[in-house]
Amino acid sequence: MSKKVKQKETRRVTGRRTFLLGSGMLLVTSFLSGRLYQLQVAQNNRYKRLSDRNQFDHRVVPPRRGRLVDREMRLLAGNAESYLLHITPLYAGDVDKALAQLASLIDLNEDVIAQVLEKARKGPSFRPILIRESLTQRELSRLAIRSAYLPGVTFEKSLRRIYPQGALTGHVTGYVSPLTSREIEQDRSLGELPDLATGKIGVEYALEPELRGLPGAERVEVNARGRPIRVFRDFEPESGGDVRLALDIGLQQHVTEILRRGKSDPVDMSAPEVQRAIAGNRELKQHLASGENMLLRDEIGKITPPESGAVVVIDITNGEILSMVSSPTYDPNIFTDRLLTRDWRRLNEHPRNPLLNRVTAGLYAPGSTFKMVVALAALEAGIITEGTRHFCNGSMELGNATFHCWLEDGHGTVNVVSALERSCDVYFYEVALKTGIQRIKDMANRLGLGDVTGIDIPGEKQGIIPNHEWKLATHGVVWTPGETVVASIGQGYVLTTPLQLAVMTARLASGTKAVTPSLRAVAGEPEFAPLNISPVALRIVRKGMFKVMHGSLGTARAHNLPTGLGGMAGKTGTVQVKRITKEQREAGITKNIERPWKERDHALFVGYAPVQNPRYAVAVVVEHGGSGSSMAAPIAKATLQRVLEIRDRA
Amino acid sequence: MATETVSILKTILRIPWHVLFVAGVLVIVGSLALYSASEGSWTPWAGRHAVRGGVGAAMMLVLAFIDFRIMRIWAYPVYLMSVVVLIVLLGIGSGGSVARWITIGSFTFQPSEPTKIAVVLALARYFDSQPLEKMRSILTYLPPLVIIAVPFILIVEQPDLGTALALALGSLTVLFVAGLPWRYILVSIIGLAAAAPVMWSQLYPYQKARVMTFLNPESDKLGAGYQITQSKIALGSGGLFGKGFLMGSQSQLNYLPEKQTDFVFTMIGEEFGLVGNMFILGLYLLLIGGVLAISFRVGSRFAQLTCVGVAMMLFLYVFVNVAMVTGLLPVVGAPLPLISYGGTAMLTVFLGLGVVTSAVVHDRPEQD
Repeated sequence: MSKKVKQKETRRVTGRRTFLLGSGMLLVTSFLSGRLYQLQVAQNNRYKRLSDRNQFDHRVVPPRRGRLVDREMRLLAGNAESYLLHITPLYAGDVDKALAQLASLIDLNEDVIAQVLEKARKGPSFRPILIRESLTQRELSRLAIRSAYLPGVTFEKSLRRIYPQGALTGHVTGYVSPLTSREIEQDRSLGELPDLATGKIGVEYALEPELRGLPGAERVEVNARGRPIRVFRDFEPESGGDVRLALDIGLQQHVTEILRRGKSDPVDMSAPEVQRAIAGNRELKQHLASGENMLLRDEIGKITPPESGAVVVIDITNGEILSMVSSPTYDPNIFTDRLLTRDWRRLNEHPRNPLLNRVTAGLYAPGSTFKMVVALAALEAGIITEGTRHFCNGSMELGNATFHCWLEDGHGTVNVVSALERSCDVYFYEVALKTGIQRIKDMANRLGLGDVTGIDIPGEKQGIIPNHEWKLATHGVVWTPGETVVASIGQGYVLTTPLQLAVMTARLASGTKAVTPSLRAVAGEPEFAPLNISPVALRIVRKGMFKVMHGSLGTARAHNLPTGLGGMAGKTGTVQVKRITKEQREAGITKNIERPWKERDHALFVGYAPVQNPRYAVAVVVEHGGSGSSMAAPIAKATLQRVLEIRDRA
Repeated sequence: MATETVSILKTILRIPWHVLFVAGVLVIVGSLALYSASEGSWTPWAGRHAVRGGVGAAMMLVLAFIDFRIMRIWAYPVYLMSVVVLIVLLGIGSGGSVARWITIGSFTFQPSEPTKIAVVLALARYFDSQPLEKMRSILTYLPPLVIIAVPFILIVEQPDLGTALALALGSLTVLFVAGLPWRYILVSIIGLAAAAPVMWSQLYPYQKARVMTFLNPESDKLGAGYQITQSKIALGSGGLFGKGFLMGSQSQLNYLPEKQTDFVFTMIGEEFGLVGNMFILGLYLLLIGGVLAISFRVGSRFAQLTCVGVAMMLFLYVFVNVAMVTGLLPVVGAPLPLISYGGTAMLTVFLGLGVVTSAVVHDRPEQD
């Protein structure tokens, strides 16, 4: 009884208090409503005035992007002033009329006018709409004179990225382009900088944090017609740092030219015969459509596009990359504005993929340029000495397979030096079998093959230097001795980039230092890791490379440097891309040039100069260029000759 | 089998759909406001807000199927768990930096918010099990003070004074409704007034600055007072009917900071005027009134006190936010529940509404 009464009593208290609480909430809410009434109705005029006069427009000021210059401080990537034209419907009044007036002063096409009108209809009237970017000086002065009659039309200065060397350095600089939504997602603070352009590839991407700089902030005071009256800088933007690259533009220009020409001569583009050839050839048309302005006439008189491939030049003493050419290339300037789909399609449909940086991301079998690796591995392991000889009769039997030497009749008796000089395959087959793939792989890795070099270019490829474990992991079957034989002449699974081949050559030539390449100019002598390869072995291999150029039977003896420049050493490589088919042989096609371009051999050459105190290393790959000795060696020679001449002048 | 079907049907019929409906309208209003805040776009806020609202409502319905008696059993363990989480958080945050957030996957989450609900449940559980004849004794009210003080101190230490005060005020309401005698109430108010100067000296400098700015916002127009000044201009220029959807120049031109979170009410005021603001306040009154009305209907004391506690927590959210944007309170960083962008407050509100739903669904009528 008493409990029930108590329960009722407590419930009554709680109910009463809840009611009291609810009333209190109502009271407080009415109080808040009163405050809202005070602000929004009673004082509305005052705040309306404040809102109209809320004259400060806070803006983020994008920083000036750091410049890229070559070793002689010549501009590779800079910033050009560009004027943007905006219209603010609120101040312009009749947007239609304003645009018609503008169209009579400057170049404005129908589509743009339609787009601006659409935006003006949809968006709030106080937001400025972009009409045009990069106004010309003439347009600017016309607008400036009439600006009083163009309410709501404003122009402002901005900076646009330019690449004065264009396609010549496209693969080095890469390019910047407007922010993507993905970048904003990854870094929210970028959302405040709608006009910012960021590096998407090349050095522009790799050095983005250094080049970008820090944005500033400013307040712009505008009058009732939307014209800026005064600007207050709250903080100054901080410009990005300039970067000096090791590249020599003069050399780059020269090397590009000789690589593109190969062994052929440019034709007169206006000759009727050339025009006829173009008209009947889809591939040539595609080349010309994407900006190509040179065509060649090859040995058998056919009109062809310029050669494709890669050339790298490295300073052995400090790793500086003096030139880095990848052909075909592209003009980075087309990416800085909104990229036209037409240009993009042309680059993408181009039969030879100009967007691929062949120096860092082109994978090629190194061919006979790999023989130095095999020789060093065998010499260092004591499997051969300089005196070890083998007889080459043109082929080697292994199990029931026959491995041929490139020279059908064989080289006779050769030792390691003459095998390098004459590029005897059989000698290296025999030596590689005794050395084993693991030792060869170790040596290749120590020379820089099979791993990225880490230069400031994104998307560098690693390549492949195989061994037992690699085969098992990727193919699920064991390594066979036959594969060691194929690998000994740099074919089969072995894949490297031209940059790696240049690094290998620089290390061989240096003899003591594990040279690492650098795209940036290097101050002083960098500390490279020691190479730790037997000096005796290195001396023997370098002797072989010397003989390639100077020996009476050297594969590239026809392309040595003039004696005054100290001579060069090197190694040729010719990589079979596709076997000659039985049908082709029967039809009498055995010469490389007679085969379809895609089936021809790749031509390679690596080398260094001068022979005493080597200073420069070079690697050349000409895609489907034929033989290393006839196509790649002369390009390497011309390149080294130019480097040495430039150095003499400097 | 048949009885089970009947009980599910019964459950569904007993769910306070009107409360869920009002909450749903508030989420939709929130989505539209956020659509405007991002200059007429469903990304990055409006779309996600709507999705979170849907998830919250679903969670509330799931809670409806949990027997309220189970909640009574779990009230203390849940409270202890949230205290442990707060302690762990303090451990992580030590060394100068402030840790208020836990990140689970891509979702960051502020545990001090749902702690409010846990404290309400623990207090309701406590009073539910007290002998009624002891309700006039002061000793009865000491353990609840400890229940409140522990999380309060932990949250103050984070330091998040705003949330701590809201938690304290909301849970003290449970004591008040439970029947705390008036004489103690008077004594504590006098005591608090006397202790105010001491507490002032304990505040962090940034907290003092906030209070000072609030007292004189014009003194620092582009610093801390900027937000209040801009908020008042935006609200005041909205007038009776506002400038129209997507047309709020203060908000759209980015004069108004935090327009997607703490100042969303201001943006609504600029675009829809006093009418829009009153509509929002009306919706909240309906929601809170609905929850209070349920407290009269439910039988058990535990359910009754829980409902009042949840209603008060809701009310405090709204009051603090509106008072802040109209310049009546310092800028403390309080969201407008169900409308502001931010998952934690939304989760807390739906958690509270879910508990209330469970109370009304599973409650036995009062036994005579």
